[in-house]
Amino acid sequence: MSKPAQTQSKQKFGVYMKKYWQLYAMLFLPLLYLLIFKYVPMVYVQIAFKKYSLMGSIWTQPLAKNHGFEYFIKAFQNNDFRYALKNTLTLNLLDLIFGFPAPIIFALILNELCFVRYKKVVQTIAYMPHFLSWVIIYSLALQLLAPNAGLVNMVIQNLGGEAIPFLNDEAHWVGSYIGFGIWQNFGWGSIVYLAAIAGINPELYEAASVDGAGRFRKIWHITLPGIKPTIVVLLIMSLGNILGGGFDRPFAFQNNLVMRVADVIATFVYRVGIKGLQFSLTTAVGLFQSVVGVFFLLMANWISRKLGERGIW
Amino acid sequence: MKKKVLSMLLASAMALSMVACGQSNGGAATTETPAATETPAATETQAETPAEPAGSSELTDGKFADTRSITVEIYDRGNDGGSDPENNMYTEYIKKGMLEEHNVEVTFKKVPRWTETEDINNLLAAQEAPDICVTYSYPTVLTYADMGGVIDLKDLVEEYKADTPNLWAWLEDTNMLWDKDPKTGSLWAIEGRRAEQQRIVTFVRQDWLDALNMKAPTTTQEFEDMLVAFRDNADTLLGKDASKMVPFSTSYDIGWRASNIITSFMDPQITDKEYYINGFDDRMVTEPQTKEAVKLLNKWYNDGLMWKDFALYGSGDTTEDDMIKAGYVGAFQHNWDYVFRNGEDSINANLKRNVGEDAKFVAVDCFKNSAGKYAKWLYSTAGDRKLFFPTTNDEPLASLLYLDFISKPETIKYLQAGDEGVTHEVLESGAIQIKAAEGDAIQNSGKNIDYTITCNGTYFGDWDLANLSIAYGYAEADPELVDAANKISLADGLAPINVNVGVIEAEAGVGDTLSSKRDQIYDNAVVAAPADFDSTWDSYMSDYLSSGGQAIMDERAAKWAEYFGDADMLP
Repeated sequence: MSKPAQTQSKQKFGVYMKKYWQLYAMLFLPLLYLLIFKYVPMVYVQIAFKKYSLMGSIWTQPLAKNHGFEYFIKAFQNNDFRYALKNTLTLNLLDLIFGFPAPIIFALILNELCFVRYKKVVQTIAYMPHFLSWVIIYSLALQLLAPNAGLVNMVIQNLGGEAIPFLNDEAHWVGSYIGFGIWQNFGWGSIVYLAAIAGINPELYEAASVDGAGRFRKIWHITLPGIKPTIVVLLIMSLGNILGGGFDRPFAFQNNLVMRVADVIATFVYRVGIKGLQFSLTTAVGLFQSVVGVFFLLMANWISRKLGERGIW
Repeated sequence: MKKKVLSMLLASAMALSMVACGQSNGGAATTETPAATETPAATETQAETPAEPAGSSELTDGKFADTRSITVEIYDRGNDGGSDPENNMYTEYIKKGMLEEHNVEVTFKKVPRWTETEDINNLLAAQEAPDICVTYSYPTVLTYADMGGVIDLKDLVEEYKADTPNLWAWLEDTNMLWDKDPKTGSLWAIEGRRAEQQRIVTFVRQDWLDALNMKAPTTTQEFEDMLVAFRDNADTLLGKDASKMVPFSTSYDIGWRASNIITSFMDPQITDKEYYINGFDDRMVTEPQTKEAVKLLNKWYNDGLMWKDFALYGSGDTTEDDMIKAGYVGAFQHNWDYVFRNGEDSINANLKRNVGEDAKFVAVDCFKNSAGKYAKWLYSTAGDRKLFFPTTNDEPLASLLYLDFISKPETIKYLQAGDEGVTHEVLESGAIQIKAAEGDAIQNSGKNIDYTITCNGTYFGDWDLANLSIAYGYAEADPELVDAANKISLADGLAPINVNVGVIEAEAGVGDTLSSKRDQIYDNAVVAAPADFDSTWDSYMSDYLSSGGQAIMDERAAKWAEYFGDADMLP
């Protein structure tokens, strides 16, 4: 009985592949990319547990002290790592609190505009900062906000005020850092939400109008629930990244006066691992970062499913 | 079924790639693993593997029978309008000379100057480092030596001594063996030699002094009064740009850019021992009196005498230079020849163009220590560039011959002076006057030090000629000003000592962390509110000490006791 069934499924598969093989062929490259750049490097996670040297194979290198956990212990005894951990959490949380709602609000506002041409122009302008690198944005920030030579502070001083230390005082620096982060990303981030909004059935709006709902009612009861799944998925992904975050943004914005709030895990790893050549220590830090990230991801996913949303898997 | 085949295929491909990765490293491991774990054993294998059994006999008349090729690191300074660092008049000279004299083909490999440590790290890690590497950072060399990534030159330099007479003649035992470990005898790097030992001077705007009818300051107090006068007369001095006035400018690197002030606070009776214990780097942040010096800077900062934005710009940034060139800055401290460097783009030449014929910086001496001397540190003959060969170098002899070639008096002369009529003129006195060059003949670094890696500073292959010419070493610069700066930079100079007690374990891997922490101490203390100065200094200092600073000082103290007992001074 199994033989004919097998041939049948084989035939089916052949037909299927004949029809869709191009799609699989296209998928091959991205898969290869993932394999080479995301999975193969995982083999080298063992550097965290070994007394690593650049010379020679990692397979034969000796285990670090304390059953291989020497570098994890070292990391947690390291002042700078503790600062970096705290700063990473603080900055990412602030980013989440202020940065996450920004594109949603922007998308909602944009959606309410009725002049299509105007809407397109605003949208395009809002996307643009996304394409600037952080190094460029920091140069802009310096030109605008430096205490002596920055445009904003020059205006303030010429009006008789005191220069505001946007970039050279710890509290102000955090504000500038978060502010530029929002500025760079809200336009680009809104694309997904606009797409989700476009997918909402217009009949719902028409029905609501008939029932006498105003603009805000419609936003509250139709648009927001309509994009809720999107919001949840993006929120879960952001939570998975709570200990992650890019390297170039904090690196570009750092200076000696604010290092105590500006040094994050990524820059710590660069300074200590790449520049200071302590690869095992920083691999341990990186591994810790990833494990915490996965934990947050799973937790957020679990909560979202408990709340009746789809989650990401 | 097909699905199964596909997944099998993928899985086996993955396994294969892993095995391949493992093996490529494994192959290297068989020869080099001992190096990683045990240094003395490594030195033997390394000394033997690269050298052919015949030793120096593979040369006839200094030439290899078959053409060898080596790669040499060269700094890329990214100067506007500079020449191609890998391919210019000087590289051609070296390539031609090496081929003719030794049958060695030279390829240059550029590395950005301002991120040299990181870049060399990456190249070494990728096993792609040039055969001859050069760095200012000895800890980097040591870290790689620890991992077995650097060739021990101990036996090589002796074995090929006869083949490299110029190298030994120029560097002498002092620099050749400067880094030799007193216990194990290993030699991981050769120290390039400083032909000039001048370090840092204070520059002030002569035309501003003249405009305000002031004399050049001769004491710290007079210097401060001058800064106050600059600040208060900004309208006279700068007109509509008065708001851009910066009486005293510095960078994030206070330990360098206020060095004369810091040194003037140092105890004139400082012992060799104390100097050594606090000498992890030359910024003296842990010296007990440094705090007082920074307190003075803190006062200046809060009185509006210093540049407010100094800490925001990193290494290699030109904002401050541009400000100085535009004429907004009254005084600063830097390398003794800083305002003369780069010919037409030098600070003084720019001032002349942008501000006026009289506008110029001159060197002054005004920071007296408690013994009444204008004490300032000089360079030692070493402590400049460290030259090392990574283990990927399989032409150690050819590489040593390269160093020999560029240490020849005539090579140094050509690399520093170029061709007569193109890059220099010979004056009646016989002195060499450097002139602005164009195109391929442009020297990207002052005195072409990027090519003369065994020599830093004016030498021209002849000390008499060098002394005669030093004032004429800068195109577009007034020789009198250069001469004055040269004299001031040497006045009451303190020569650093060399304490060779072997490797300090605590220094491995913490160099960048500590220099960044050091700058944080300086920068935050300078900008602190006067009431918070002490607490700021102490808090950042304790951070520095607990991040490895204390461990280094303790180990240095212990090593000193081990070698010199209770003595305060070197024997």
